[in-house]
Amino acid sequence: MKPDLSVSIAGLKLNNPIMTASGCCGYGEELSEVFPLSRLGALVTKSITLEPRLGHPPPRTAETASGMLNAIGLANVGIDGFVAEKIPFLEKQKTRVIVNVAGSSQAEYVEVCARLNDCPRVDMVELNISCPHVDAGGMEFGVDPAITEHLVSEVRKVFTRPVIAKLTPNVTDIGAVARAAEAGGADVLSLINTLTGTSIDINTWRPRLTKNRGGLSGPAIKPVALAMVDKVYNSCRLPIIGIGGIATAADVVEFMLVGATAVQIGTALFVEPDAPVRIIRDLATYLRQHRLGSVGEMVGKVRKY
Amino acid sequence: MKRYTPERVPIIRLRHLSRDYYTIRLGPWSRAQYCRPGQFVHLGLPQCDVYFRRAMSLASVDVDRAEFEIIFKVFGRGTKALSRYRRGDSLDVLGPLGEPFRPPRKNETSIMVGGGVGFPPLFYLASWLVTQGRDPKSIEFFYGGRTAGEIVERSRIRRLGVRFHPVTDDGTFGAKGLVTEAVAEYLATQPIRHPRLFICGPGDMLKAADNMAMRLGWPGQVSLEAPMPCGFGVCLGCVVPLRAGGHARVCCEGPVFEIGEVLL
Repeated sequence: MKPDLSVSIAGLKLNNPIMTASGCCGYGEELSEVFPLSRLGALVTKSITLEPRLGHPPPRTAETASGMLNAIGLANVGIDGFVAEKIPFLEKQKTRVIVNVAGSSQAEYVEVCARLNDCPRVDMVELNISCPHVDAGGMEFGVDPAITEHLVSEVRKVFTRPVIAKLTPNVTDIGAVARAAEAGGADVLSLINTLTGTSIDINTWRPRLTKNRGGLSGPAIKPVALAMVDKVYNSCRLPIIGIGGIATAADVVEFMLVGATAVQIGTALFVEPDAPVRIIRDLATYLRQHRLGSVGEMVGKVRKY
Repeated sequence: MKRYTPERVPIIRLRHLSRDYYTIRLGPWSRAQYCRPGQFVHLGLPQCDVYFRRAMSLASVDVDRAEFEIIFKVFGRGTKALSRYRRGDSLDVLGPLGEPFRPPRKNETSIMVGGGVGFPPLFYLASWLVTQGRDPKSIEFFYGGRTAGEIVERSRIRRLGVRFHPVTDDGTFGAKGLVTEAVAEYLATQPIRHPRLFICGPGDMLKAADNMAMRLGWPGQVSLEAPMPCGFGVCLGCVVPLRAGGHARVCCEGPVFEIGEVLL
C-alpha cells in the first residue's frame, strides 16, 4: 500500500511534510528549475520587508564544520516588488505558499501582513521574529515573550489565514516564547532559526563576515534543534514545523518523533538543490519499511527513557 | 532534465601539472553541449568533510565526447580534497552556471589577461574562439604567475597558435613583472585598433586591470570568483557591489561582468 505522506497544519492540507526554509530558495523561481515545486509540501519565501533591502556588504556567508554562517541581512525585493514581480510566478505554482515576513518595527510586520492578506495565493505567513543578524528588529522581538505575544496578536488582527511564528534558539527558555506566541494567537510554530555564531580568519585576524557575527545553520545545529522542538512540543499545544540541519529522511523522522508535524529544508538546498525530492522519496520508503500508514503516526511518538 | 539538476559524473583523469596545479577531466556529462567559455560548474565533493560545493571555472569542454576539464590550484580544504580523488570516482556536478563571456566582434583583437588561477576560463575562451574559426593571431594571450611553475599548460597554449605572452614576477619564465604592466606596455607600442580585454585572476590583479582598462577606455569583461554556497542564485552569499549601486550575484548575473561594472 502506498503510504500517506500528507499532513494537515492549521486546517491546511499539504501533500507531504517537506517545506523549504525561508532564505534558502528565494521566491522559488530558481528552485523551479531544479524540480517542479508541486513536489513540495509548501514553499516558504525569503523574508519580505516593507521596503526593499540590499542586505549587508559581502562577505556575508562562511563555511563551517558541517554547516555555515550567514549574515545576508534580509536582502529582499520589499512588499511592493513581491506583489508585483513574485506573486504572478507563485500564482502558477501548484504548491502551498508561505510568505516569511520581517521588519524593524511591529508596525512594519503588521503592514506587510495586511498587504499579504489581500493576496489569496499566500496560504500562510511566517513571522521572522528570530533573525540574529539585522541591526533592528528580527531577533529582538523573538527573545522577549511579552513582545512576541503582542506582535503576533497585532498581526492576527490583519491576517485572516494561518500565522506561523518562527522562533529563535538564542533564548534561555524557548518554551516561554512558544507559549507567548500561542497566547498571541499564532496557529503554528516553526523552529529553530539560526544560532548566533562567528568565525575568524587567523591570517587577517578579521571575522569572516562583515557583520562580525551571523547565524549558524546546517547539520551542525540539528541536535540543538531537535532538543528545542522536543521542549516546545511539551510546552504548548500548537503544531510545530521543525527546522535545523535537515538533510535526509532520517532527519525528518527524528524531528517528527519529537513532535514536528512538518519540517523545513534550508541549508541542505545549497549543497544538494534537489534534496527535497530525495527526502520525500526516502520518507515513503521508511514508512513502508516500518509498516506505517501515514507520516502523522510518528508525530511526538519518541519513546523516552 | 531541468537546468539546475545536479548529475553524478565520473572522473576520467586527474593529473598533477606543476607546483600546486592539477587538471581533472570528467565525463560523460549530459550538459557538456550547453557550456560556453566563462561559465563554471559547482562541484559537490562526496565522501569528504568539505561541506559546501566548490565553484570551478571550465577550462575546456569536449562536446563530442561529452567531457569537461577543470584546472585548479590547491588552495584550501576543498581543492586539497579535489586533488585526492581518483579515476573512477564520481563528483556531483551542477551546471553549466553563470553568464559566459560575450565573444569579441570580428574586427576586434582579443586581449586575454590572466593571472594564476585566472588562466582556465581564458584558455577555454581562446580555444573556443579558434574552434569557431577566429584567426589565432587575433588573440593576444597574456598569462602571469609568480614564477615559472605557475604558468601551466604552455604547450597547449602554443598549440592554439595564439600570441602567447607569459609574464612572471621573478622573471623565471617570459617577461619579468606584472601581467597588467605587460599588457599596458604592449598596447602602447603595438598598432592594435580594436582591443577587447578578457580579464581573470586574483583580486589585486583584477582591480589593477579593471582600473587600467577604464582609464584607457578599453572595452572588455572581467570574470570574478566569490565564496559561493549555492551557485544557482538562491542564497545571495556571493553578491558583489556594483558601481551603479546595488548588488549582483556572481553565480547568476556573473561571473563575467563588464569592465568597470563591479566595485572591485
